[in-house]
Amino acid sequence: MGSLRPRLIRGLRPAVLPLLMLALLEAWARTTGRDSDAVAAPTLALRAWFTALADGTLLSATAFTLLSAALGLALGAAAGVLLGTWLGLSRRAANAAFLSVELLRPVPSVALIPLAMLMFGFGLRLEVSVVAFATFWPLLVLSQAAARQVEPRLLEVALALQMTPARRFMHIVLPAMLPRLFVALRLGVAIALVVAVTVEIAANPMGVGYALMIAQQTLDPALMLAWLFWIGAVGYAVNALALALQRQVARRMGEPAP
Amino acid sequence: MTEVLLEFDRVAIHLGGREILSPTSLALRRGEFVCVIGPSGCGKTTLLRAAAGFVTPSQGSVKRSGLPVGGPSREAAFVFQDYGRALLPWRTVAGNVSLALEAAAVPAAERPQRIEAVLRTVGLAAHAHQFPARLSGGMQQRVQIARCLAQQPTLMLMDEPFGALDAMTREALQDELARLVREQGLTVLFVTHDLEEALYLGDRVVALRAQPTAASPSVAAIVEVTLPRPRHQLSTKEDPEFLRLRRELYQYLGHA
Repeated sequence: MGSLRPRLIRGLRPAVLPLLMLALLEAWARTTGRDSDAVAAPTLALRAWFTALADGTLLSATAFTLLSAALGLALGAAAGVLLGTWLGLSRRAANAAFLSVELLRPVPSVALIPLAMLMFGFGLRLEVSVVAFATFWPLLVLSQAAARQVEPRLLEVALALQMTPARRFMHIVLPAMLPRLFVALRLGVAIALVVAVTVEIAANPMGVGYALMIAQQTLDPALMLAWLFWIGAVGYAVNALALALQRQVARRMGEPAP
Repeated sequence: MTEVLLEFDRVAIHLGGREILSPTSLALRRGEFVCVIGPSGCGKTTLLRAAAGFVTPSQGSVKRSGLPVGGPSREAAFVFQDYGRALLPWRTVAGNVSLALEAAAVPAAERPQRIEAVLRTVGLAAHAHQFPARLSGGMQQRVQIARCLAQQPTLMLMDEPFGALDAMTREALQDELARLVREQGLTVLFVTHDLEEALYLGDRVVALRAQPTAASPSVAAIVEVTLPRPRHQLSTKEDPEFLRLRRELYQYLGHA
């Protein structure tokens, strides 16, 4: 019992600063900032959040954004990891692809929105394609590095054991790459979410980004703030999930948890 | 006259335009333990890698059981010096040994019992479920040797396998290796830079010199070690014959 209370207090300590800031914002919004069109009191935002939850817009918009981000990431990661692994293992392929990769990689993913809009119109495919493009490059580059960093000695062991290429990939290359792939995947998750919301704010009339824009355009700062906090909370939850997954994998691979 | 298992026939190797090994001929009979010593950069590891099929000679040929070596084979097991890098860190001791069996497509049902048998021979039965990173260097090297035994080779190619270990562990592993080789009738080509280790383990010791020229080829000397087996860390190393060979080889290496 004696140890429970200090632990509880220690666990709550990180929450002190955000709560304090919320309280300050509340006080400001209820006094000097009462007529602000940009910022509303957090309590009003909370009420707007409950309204959005009750009328279903919150869940449907969140589902759309998460689905787009997940599908885009799945496509971008699958293509990026496959190609990256190949480029990492074959110096010849890497040399051949180097210029194309370096020319295409710096293209900002949002610059692709006009093209994707012409190709797919509004909707899921527009968003998925842009997210896929945005996540493809970091995953390509990171999995190329991961494949290149596979211990050469292990490849010689595979050679000495006359392992078939398929076995060599499944038993040596892939597991050796896995910890680095998960780091890449976590980065991909963060990028996917950011890009999905960006596409919704810039073009696609769906999802949480669009809901945020509508709240702004209808001069509803409480709702806008509610969406803003919500996007932050969803992002936090998704990243925490990805981190937990990464730790789980690391533990199964016989490594001490990071 | 026992059959020749591994034969280097005037093998020369150039890497990056430099002659690493000048034409060298050497034949290992089945069951023979041959040690190769020499200073760094004399091509002893390259010689071993050619025997394994990792390196193709620029001249001459390497034959295993009378057939030219075209590439690596499970017949010849390779023990690397850097055991830490040659083991899969994400697999347990048993899993690492299993890799050799999986590569040879041994049915899953047979594996546990073969893994256990091999681990027992190297004294690791109690550590089957540990991860390599938890083991000492000597034990990790034992895991690698166990994996090599699991592929049931006729030939063991060992590249300074005990070079990174402390003296006590090294001696223990030397005796263990000598016992394993005798029990399993293995043929060994063993590279080391430790003169005493070479004499203690080998039936023959090949001394290589660092900068081979036309006048002085890679092989500086080959000595027969007729010391009785089983050998003993103290008495063998005090044997006058051991000391005589040690002096002889030392002089060869000194000249190289």
